[in-house]
Amino acid sequence: MSRESSNGKGVVIGLDVGTSRVVAVQEKDGKRSVRSELNAFISLPWSKMTEASLARESIPFLVRGGEIIVMGNESARMADLFGKELRRPMIHGMLNPDEPESLDLIRAILRTVLEPESTAGARVRFSVPAPPLAGEGTLTFHEASLRQILGDLGYSDVGAVNEGVAVIYSELPDSNYTGIGISCGGGLCNVAMAYLSVPVLSFSLPKGGDFIDANAAGVTGELVNRVRLAKEESFHFNGNYSDKVQQAIAVYYDDMIQSVAGSLRQALQGSRSLPRFGRSLPLVLSGGGVLPQGFRERFEKALGEVRLPVEVSEVRLARRPLEATAEGALAAALSE
Amino acid sequence: MRPFAAKPGRLWTAWTGWRARRVSDPVERLRLLRHTVGDRRLWPADDIAGGKRQLRWRVWVLAAGALVLAPLGAMKNASWPWERTPLALAGTAAPAEDRVPDVWLVEETPAAEQYSNGLRIERKYETANEPRRYEVYALGRENEGPVEERTAPAGIVFHSTESATAEFRADQTPRLKRIGKFLLEYVRQERAYHYLIDRFGRVWRIVRESDAANHAGYSVWADDRWTYLNLNWSFLGISLEGRSSGEEAGPDITDAQVLALRQLVAMLRSRYAIAARNCVTHAQVSVNPSNMQAGYHYDWATRFPYARIGLPDNYRLPAPSLWLFGFTYDPSLVVQTGESYWLGLTLGDDRLRQRAASEGATVEACRAKLAANYRRLILQWKARMEAARGAGAPEASVQGARPPAVQTDFEDVKETGK
Repeated sequence: MSRESSNGKGVVIGLDVGTSRVVAVQEKDGKRSVRSELNAFISLPWSKMTEASLARESIPFLVRGGEIIVMGNESARMADLFGKELRRPMIHGMLNPDEPESLDLIRAILRTVLEPESTAGARVRFSVPAPPLAGEGTLTFHEASLRQILGDLGYSDVGAVNEGVAVIYSELPDSNYTGIGISCGGGLCNVAMAYLSVPVLSFSLPKGGDFIDANAAGVTGELVNRVRLAKEESFHFNGNYSDKVQQAIAVYYDDMIQSVAGSLRQALQGSRSLPRFGRSLPLVLSGGGVLPQGFRERFEKALGEVRLPVEVSEVRLARRPLEATAEGALAAALSE
Repeated sequence: MRPFAAKPGRLWTAWTGWRARRVSDPVERLRLLRHTVGDRRLWPADDIAGGKRQLRWRVWVLAAGALVLAPLGAMKNASWPWERTPLALAGTAAPAEDRVPDVWLVEETPAAEQYSNGLRIERKYETANEPRRYEVYALGRENEGPVEERTAPAGIVFHSTESATAEFRADQTPRLKRIGKFLLEYVRQERAYHYLIDRFGRVWRIVRESDAANHAGYSVWADDRWTYLNLNWSFLGISLEGRSSGEEAGPDITDAQVLALRQLVAMLRSRYAIAARNCVTHAQVSVNPSNMQAGYHYDWATRFPYARIGLPDNYRLPAPSLWLFGFTYDPSLVVQTGESYWLGLTLGDDRLRQRAASEGATVEACRAKLAANYRRLILQWKARMEAARGAGAPEASVQGARPPAVQTDFEDVKETGK
């Protein structure tokens, strides 16, 4: 069989459209490149000087009425600078209905991570969350909107990939794509189980980084953005926290971990369509939420406490947790 | 009747896994798996942690056989023509069924039946029709054809007559009774439902429960194990006299009707162990094969009083016609019928997208495949029905029977008995 890679087949792109970050992994002529932008924005009062400065620095922005909307990686720095809260075009893994500009913002952010010259004949697979475990909510609008935006950007071969499954495609080739993939993102934790690449179970939980940030900010009186920075820059699990913010972050991290482990057990027990695995399964953790030191051990302990009905052979972190979903989407695109 | 389709064996999966391990390139390995096992339903649904009980020696025997028999070149071929079937995705597991009520017959006369929960069934208009006999399909494996034949009803479809009636006031009683009588005579003549509940809450048996009635025509439903087509045969039809799509005040249904319906549903669920999720409205099951759209009939498309009759809100169930057979829906239906039915449609759409993703296909390709499968199943079903009738099925002896129509002219979908 000839390997249908990007060689001679144009560009193949895996796209992780997450609540917190948008990551694109592109393969062209056998070479891979990764681009990533924060999926967030802040609005600033418009002035000609501000607009000129942003343009000069090549910082992505939009002008809307009397405001300049700064998006992507620079928005975090500016939010901290101006003491403002970051806003997100997505919430809980899907387009944020409370942000009227969400479609335009996503379009602009996607434009920054996708190379405009690569649209002709390109194949794009983008990640979508799984339905929530409780069965509520709908993904139709979110997925259809992303398809439309990518179509508007010139991509005609566009498809969706379940986020948890993408993690499996990225991280579990050694187990024949059999195992459990978990992506702990900004808005959701996505969980999937696959058997020989076949998704047999997938669900999402509305507890991610934003859940931790918002609740920790609520109990400490800090700005959410400050809590987020504290979490990303210095938080780690060691059971001995120096300040109240770190302690609050740990509390809500534990809540998230226990929810994921408990929900996985519940989903496994409730599912009637699981295969005989015949062996213990690897479990891989990815996403920005797994980055704090000690997360893997904490998760492994929680998993042991809930007693899953399947045996887990190992709990490991993805090689590049922030890129695993996009890498898996790329693998999905390449393997079609 | 075809027996249950053989479950894909563990040997086959073990062999495929072994083949995949021979492929060193991860992307090639993924492609091999997705194009071969990727879309097959491989496992029985009754075991998860049975790995230790596996007969490992069979795997070794097979692997050894494969080594001898299979040329290495062929092992790398990812284009296997096996038919793909959908997967049951998580997050969609059926909720635990609520307890089936215990109701029993207390007294029976030629005129009426009395039940332990207060239900009284009037028999004046009772009639026979074609005996119930239907086939079920294994959920997600409909393309394999029917797997079982049954005679007991599997569910209930709720209708409204959508007929004109008088205002529900004491001084209108004679008129209400007169209209109700005409309606009963009409639905009896058409064998339109199994039960009709009139404006005063009286429960009239029309077609016997053992027989099919002309109430649902082209229709689709599925529970957590089985898929049902053409529910005239498999589901009981209960209709409430009045309009389900009322003005702002809501459906034109009386409290007496709701109370009677609650009692009747409890009795039927008790008698046939009917799952709560198989008690649904006509709008939820009705389809139009001529344009492949769901919601051909839209009585009780919204505001059916599920809670008041002791059932869960089944409007929240994904519409099986969308994700099992690729039906679409007219967006104007959503506007017209409101949020409750809309949710089932969009969840059905979501399920279809998941299915397409799990099959590695586009939604449109998946939908087209499912729609073609539906048409094929309908044609096969028609052939079987006609063969059965041609062979002198028992219904021929029922005087005046109006056997439910066997429709396959997709351009001319007509039903009797709204």
